[in-house]
Parts: sequence; structure tokens; C-alpha cells
Amino acid sequence: MVDAVAAISAVVLLALVTMATRVGGVWIMSYVRITPRVEAFLKYMSVSVLISIVAATTWAAGPRIWLAVGTAALVMIASRNAVGAMLVGTTVAALARNFGF
Amino acid sequence: MTGMAGDIPRSDQFERPRFTASGVRRGSREIAPIAAFVIPFGIAFGVAAFAKGISPGISVFMSIAIYAGASQFAALDLWYAPLPLATLALTVLAVNARHILLGAALAPWLLQIPIVRRLAALLLLSDANFAHTMAVRDRGETDAGILFGSGLTMWIIWIVSTAVGALAGSLLGDLSRFGFDAVMVAYFTAVIVGWWKGRSDLFPFVTAAAVAVAGTYVLPAGWHIIAGALVGGIAGVWRHG
Repeated sequence: MVDAVAAISAVVLLALVTMATRVGGVWIMSYVRITPRVEAFLKYMSVSVLISIVAATTWAAGPRIWLAVGTAALVMIASRNAVGAMLVGTTVAALARNFGF
Repeated sequence: MTGMAGDIPRSDQFERPRFTASGVRRGSREIAPIAAFVIPFGIAFGVAAFAKGISPGISVFMSIAIYAGASQFAALDLWYAPLPLATLALTVLAVNARHILLGAALAPWLLQIPIVRRLAALLLLSDANFAHTMAVRDRGETDAGILFGSGLTMWIIWIVSTAVGALAGSLLGDLSRFGFDAVMVAYFTAVIVGWWKGRSDLFPFVTAAAVAVAGTYVLPAGWHIIAGALVGGIAGVWRHG
């Protein structure tokens, strides 16, 4: 059993580490000149964070999540509505679950 | 809008990034429908922490202080006495290193607002309020208060849902029954499709995805996201820089 003082100290340490990652990116960029190439890099890097999360999660998941991701993409292409795409994708995942995927 | 003596309007004054209370309020409202996706993850974290023998007070404190879901889940695996502080810190750093990328992407904007407000805006930075902020910025938004306001809503929902999970979540059973486990990927998919500008994006997008998937096999936990993001950025410069 972890005692309360040790637990609270550990959480504070992890919070400081996380806070450093939150302010670190902007701090680093205040010492680097932002050219059009740097801007293109940042733009593609930022969307690639989301791509990486989705790709790795979907790869490791089963057909139910593949269906949800595919449906969300199609709804977004058709409607350009992100919340709608999220809701339809989630509903498909719930239905697929109940049909035994 | 102006016309007062001594107040000489310059067009760029209205384009400059700012951070206002009205931006905070708008951000906190706009993110609400999206922030709902945090609820199942918060509940799941509360339940998982409770199953690990962590008291509700400590798991709620984790969500208040750390407020980074994936890293909090990762920390549960290392939660035993005596606490392995170095391993815990490095694991949380690895999972959360992607925040550095998010902050760097926001830097051209945030470096133009005063430092105290800049730090405030960053305190509650997460994948979701980053995605929302970048989307409204694409539409011409100049108020960085949006980032803080949307983060505030996400943070409060994360704390409350952790508490619900820690206290009562174990009664709900398997959350995948409700499709909740698909909410985050479905939303991120929608954001990625929304960002798609044309066929020249295919190469950077596919490269990022391939590197991230390969990274899950060969890199320590969390680092596949960093690898995919860096390679996607380099591929984007190669195509567009």
C-alpha cells in the first residue's frame, strides 16, 4: 500500500513534469526563428500528432473500431461537422458491439 | 469602432493575437459538446485507479494536478510501494512529450501575447482543446483566451468524471458497450479529415501513420506519437516548404 504522503509527493512530481511539457514547446520556439519552412513543419507536425494517435489506436483495435473510424471519416467528408462525425462514429461502435463484433 | 482622439487605428491591431475574458468564455462554451468525450475516459480512469487500490482522493488529485489521461493510465501500472519515482517521471514525460509539439505549433501565435497570459493559456493544454483552437484559428480567430477557456471546460469535466468513476464507475461495467471507447478516435479522425487540403497531403499523412504504427512495436510506450509527428512534419516540409 502506498501511503498518502508518498502518493501526494509523486503526483506533484508528475504534475511538474507534465507542466514542463506544456510550456516547453512555446519556450523552445521563442529561441528559434519561425520561417515559412518552420511553419510548414509545425503545421504538418501538429496534425501528425492526431494522425499518429488514430493510426496506432486503430491498428491495435478490432473491426468495431475500424468501422467507427471509417464512418466518422465518411460523415466528416459529407457534412464537415466534427461533432456529428464523432457521434455517428460512436453510435456505430456501440451498435457493432451489440451485434457481437 | 474607434474615432477617439489619439487612438489611431492600424489594420494590424485588429489582427494581432490577444487573450481576453470574452475569448475564455467563448472557448469554454464552444468545446462543451466535444469535451463530453472526456467523460468515459475520466470514469474509466477513476475505476482503474480504484481497482489499483488508490483512494478516490488521490485519483481525483491526479486528475486535478496532472490532467493528462494517457499518462495517468500509464502511471497506474507503476503505482506500487515504494513508488518508483524515476521510472514514473520518465514514463509520464514520454507519454506527454507530445505536448511540446502542440506548444511549438501554437508558438507563432502565443509568443505575441504577454507571458503571464501565455503561461495561463498553456496550463490546460491538451490534444482536444489544441485541436479545437487550431480549427477556430484556421477560421481567423485571434483570441488565445479560446485555448484557456476550452481547456478549463475539459479540465473540470475530467476532474468530475474521475470522481464519478472512482466512487461509482465500477457499477457501470464494460464501457465499450456504449461505444465510449471509440469516441476519441472518431473525433480525431474528423479533425484530420477536416484538415485535409488536397492530394499533396497524402504523403505526409500516410508517412506519419506508418511511422506511428511501426513505432508501437519498436519504441518505448508513448514515443510512437513523437516519431510519427516528427516524420509527418518533415514530410510536410519536403512537399510544401
